[in-house]
Amino acid sequence: MNGTVIELYSDADLARMKKHIKRWRTALLALAAAALAVCVGLAAAAGTLNAQRMELATIAVSTVAGWVVLYGILFVVTPVRRELAHAEMLRTEERERVEGAVALTDERFTIRKSVAVRRVEVRADEETVHRLLVCASRAQALAGAETRALYTCHGYVAAYEVTA
Amino acid sequence: MRFLKNVFSQLHTFVLWLLASALFWGWIFTIVTDTSPEKKVTVYCRVPAVQDAALAAALEEDMPEGLRMIKVHSFEYVMFGTDEFDRGDIFIVPASEEADFVKDLLPVEGDQPTKAYDAAAGEGVATDYIQYGNEDYYMYLGSGSVHLEDGAALAVARELLAMG
Repeated sequence: MNGTVIELYSDADLARMKKHIKRWRTALLALAAAALAVCVGLAAAAGTLNAQRMELATIAVSTVAGWVVLYGILFVVTPVRRELAHAEMLRTEERERVEGAVALTDERFTIRKSVAVRRVEVRADEETVHRLLVCASRAQALAGAETRALYTCHGYVAAYEVTA
Repeated sequence: MRFLKNVFSQLHTFVLWLLASALFWGWIFTIVTDTSPEKKVTVYCRVPAVQDAALAAALEEDMPEGLRMIKVHSFEYVMFGTDEFDRGDIFIVPASEEADFVKDLLPVEGDQPTKAYDAAAGEGVATDYIQYGNEDYYMYLGSGSVHLEDGAALAVARELLAMG
């Protein structure tokens, strides 16, 4: 059975993720720089009479801006950066071909410092079952599949074959 | 909901940032709003309440040459560093505690202590800024003041007395 190979991560997907990371990094860096400039300005404007108010204002600006930047790094940039690293690994490293009845299970977990994944079982014959992983954000591509050929890389699904 | 879940999963990071921000900017403001004893005159008041920033700002309006700032502190501030107390320039202390301090303090002018507040008359120096207790208060110069020779401590003491 040979058909068209569909990559889980296309070149366009990789480009989109890179653009997303770059855009958010620039925005967060700009926010951090602006907050720092405001804090320095407040510190410079502090006098005897307003020092306490200026200090409180500076701490408030620095804290809130820092929280926004931290949130952006932890929950917007980092997950995409990890997914991009995972996708680049799938696109560049050596692959194996596995064929059989594909079943997407409900087992899901997050690999430490990497992506969230779901378990996929591919039954090649009565005795051989390949237990693989697929990135959770791309798992739907395998939902409802019956017999199919998959390309794997270090136990992760990298691509699948569809027949015309 | 997802936002809150994310925040709570990294709550320790956000709290740590708040503490780091407060400590860092607190340190910066200490540098910005303070200076060496040679460039400031410090007034310590053993009184129930003092508007330290407002009084310091009022005294700075007619600051002796060579000074960068005037600081006003309540005695509670002294607890954070005995060095500060030893190098204090002007002290306002109640009559009941005068004996505790008088060996380390010098009269403002002449041999007799200068009355800063007369409880019977209800009159005293800088009453717009200092809330006195129900007893007489006296003003002294600090024996460890670095502004005895250049006259800056005396000049600020006179400025205070003129605020009667």
